Amino acid sequence: MSSGHKKRNFQIEAFKHKVVVDPKYAEKTWKILEHAIHEIYNHNASGLSFEELYRVCPWRFILEELNTKWSDHNKALQMIRDILMYMDRTFIPSTRKTPVHELGLNLWRDNVIHSDKIQTRLLNTVLELILRERTGEVINRGLMRNIIKMLMDLGPLVYQDDFEKPFLEVSADFYRAESQEFIECSDCGDYLKKAERRLNEEIERVSHYLDAKSEAKITNVVEKEMVANHMLRLVHMENSGLVKMLLDDKLEDLGRMYALFKRVPIGLPTIRDVMTSHIRDTGKQLVTDPEKSKNPVEFVESLLDKKDKYDKVIASSFNNDKTFQNALNSSFEYFINLNPRSPEYISLFVDDKLRKGLKGVKEEEIETMLDKVMMLFRYLQEKDVFEKYYKQHLAKRLLSGKTVSDDAERSLIVKLKTECGYQFTSKLEGMFTDMKTSQDTMQGFYSAHGSDLASGPTLVVQVLTTGSWPTQSSITCNLPSEMLALCDKFRSYYLGTHTGRRLSWQTNMGTADLRATFGNGQKYELNVSTYQMCVLMLFNNADCLSYREIEQATEIISSDLKRCLQSLACVKGKNVLRKEPMSKDIGEDDVFSVNDKFTSKLRKVKIGTVAAQKETEPEKQETRQRVEEDRKPQIEAAVVRIMKARRVLDHNNIIAEVTKQLQSRFLANPSEIKKRIESLIERDFLERDNVDRRLYRYLA
Amino acid sequence: MSGSSSKKDAPNSKRPFNSGAMDRFLAAAHKKLSSEAERIDQLFYSYAITPPWVIQPQGIDTLCSDLGIHHTDVRILMLAWKMQAEKQGYFTLDEWRRALTALRADTIIKLKAALPELEREVRRSSNRANFYSYAFKYNLTEEKQKFIDTETVCALLNLVLRSEFLPQVDALIHYLKIQTDYRVINMDQWMGFYRFCNEINFPELDNYDSDQAWPLIVDDFVDWIRSHRG
Repeated sequence: MSSGHKKRNFQIEAFKHKVVVDPKYAEKTWKILEHAIHEIYNHNASGLSFEELYRVCPWRFILEELNTKWSDHNKALQMIRDILMYMDRTFIPSTRKTPVHELGLNLWRDNVIHSDKIQTRLLNTVLELILRERTGEVINRGLMRNIIKMLMDLGPLVYQDDFEKPFLEVSADFYRAESQEFIECSDCGDYLKKAERRLNEEIERVSHYLDAKSEAKITNVVEKEMVANHMLRLVHMENSGLVKMLLDDKLEDLGRMYALFKRVPIGLPTIRDVMTSHIRDTGKQLVTDPEKSKNPVEFVESLLDKKDKYDKVIASSFNNDKTFQNALNSSFEYFINLNPRSPEYISLFVDDKLRKGLKGVKEEEIETMLDKVMMLFRYLQEKDVFEKYYKQHLAKRLLSGKTVSDDAERSLIVKLKTECGYQFTSKLEGMFTDMKTSQDTMQGFYSAHGSDLASGPTLVVQVLTTGSWPTQSSITCNLPSEMLALCDKFRSYYLGTHTGRRLSWQTNMGTADLRATFGNGQKYELNVSTYQMCVLMLFNNADCLSYREIEQATEIISSDLKRCLQSLACVKGKNVLRKEPMSKDIGEDDVFSVNDKFTSKLRKVKIGTVAAQKETEPEKQETRQRVEEDRKPQIEAAVVRIMKARRVLDHNNIIAEVTKQLQSRFLANPSEIKKRIESLIERDFLERDNVDRRLYRYLA
Repeated sequence: MSGSSSKKDAPNSKRPFNSGAMDRFLAAAHKKLSSEAERIDQLFYSYAITPPWVIQPQGIDTLCSDLGIHHTDVRILMLAWKMQAEKQGYFTLDEWRRALTALRADTIIKLKAALPELEREVRRSSNRANFYSYAFKYNLTEEKQKFIDTETVCALLNLVLRSEFLPQVDALIHYLKIQTDYRVINMDQWMGFYRFCNEINFPELDNYDSDQAWPLIVDDFVDWIRSHRG
């Protein structure tokens, strides 16, 4: 206040001085100015009488006319402002009057734009033109731009109230109706194309002649009316919806759906949920299909195909969206584990590839294949079951010398080690070490005894560390005397160099190459199992042997012996023995003799290959039981570890923690954990709390 | 007087003055006491076999018939509990004294008369669980034995729990007889049954929560009841 007071005093003094000079200066000046202003308008146009304008002018020209007048007004306004520039700069700010230009705009706004003769017409015309443009007509966008620019120049409120709000309302009505019509007569893909086009058109329209701020608002309208309101119907469209698109790999359509749905709330979860349940359903069908289960390799290949398919969809259509990848992973984890034989089949798939499938395949491709296998492995809840089978299959590969690529074998071991840690693979690695050590041992054996063994058969021994290999404690069969002597020699050599060890022969796992001369003088090299060798060697000293005689001489357990005789006598083209009577199955009264008429195109004949095959039901049960047995100490160790650290813990938490600790190996069954806890209580590792029934206490 | 002083009684020898009346009273009380103790011992020796002076199964049989109860009667188990007898079928002198002194029974008639009170004592809430767990331990006859076969467990449940929890025990025994998963029962499971009877609404089972730390056999039992209820 005080400063304002001072200022006024100062000003008064200044004015006094001027007034003294010319008291009528202001009045004179205004006259000149007034004249000038009138002149400006007269020169340029016939004044501001729009009465005439809308009487004579058909409505569609209203915009042109308005545009012309507006530009005249602007020019006039410019000049007036120039004339009154001094006033604008000094007098107006200090007296807080409206500046000249703004005043001019306000006058235009109140007298022209808001005149009831023009206001509605202007709006209707503009909206009509936009509608025409939407229906495909070409309109004068330059004119539209100018008119809209005029509204914007008149202030944001004018733009919003006189254009934007009604524009958005009309647009919403338009798109509501249009989407209704579209959805009745188009399939999902077409509809999405239309919606996308409409959206782009609106964006383009904004860039051409609307305020940039309107873009978000109008796209919002289109998104809501065309996408959000029809989302569920679109996704579930019978023959063209999301499921159909996924089935047909319609990557472009899927990409469009993703892009459009991303713009609306819960759009992406909607897609994701439908995709997830589709993958789960089809995956479940796949893994429970008994046809597929017949061929483990095919089973795994279809899993891999399915994974490839969805990886591609997510990469190319769903922008590699992390949440979609997670949904895919959890779906795979869900259905792979629905089939308890998945771990076995995955191992069989690897076995197949490493036996034959990789010959001539490039190194990178092997790596890719192994990586894919690892990906499936990651989904397995029962990784320990996989390990069991993998060990069995690897043992067979190593012992039969059937593995194609040592590098590939080792590469997979390294991957498993990275994934599950040292413990998981230590035994597998032990198997490789044994193979290598055995080679050296055999070299040592032959360099020590080579000279006196030159004439006899050749023995190759693989010394397997108990525990590392899936050996069974099987009864050693009676070896032919030639072999027996050799084996004893090896035994004394080995035990002589390694004291304190024990050797037992796993005759059920070996193979032999025999040179055989048949009655007609034909010579063949037979590749057989150790059991088969034992049987065949008997025929060096006998023409004819009954089943019982063979059983007595070899002491091979009957189930194995029957299988072995079947492969020697009943397989066409490999029947080196003849059986009396001729039938498919081996009976205990059958009699066998050498098949003199045996012929083969190949000089080397492989009989009864020991290829890993799907386990039979009882074998499966047995493996399962072994797995369960192996889990018990692991669960108990986890319980003790946790209780040792926590001392007191309630039941639910102990179950949760044990499950978590073990999940990298297998999914522990809560009732099994409970059993283990009870066993620990029994052995005084734990006790129940006397008061709180949920608690266990650790007894140190 | 001289007879009582000849006894090497600690309080007597320390007493500086000879207060006649008091001494007489104490002597009488002592005589009564010692004679009760003596009678308890005498009763023991009437059943025990020499040597090493322990009541053996045969002696217990005789005791039972003297008491007029069957040897499988729960009351004989209660008596064993009162004695805190270590080994099934055998009562030592110390154990015998522990129970009969507490029961103030120095004759077989007094012992028989004390049985109802003993039964009430066992049923007291402070003793029930203790008696129940004792029943299990008493049946562990071998060194380091930790299990009892389900058949014996059924008989034992009948004996110690059925009178209180008739429907529960009947269901449990039925279950134990038809199931094949468990052939023996350990202490933890045994106590689980007791908890179950005492804590769970039967037959509703509405407050049974298998997330609690119940022994698995109780979970299985509850599953079995529920599945049989349809």
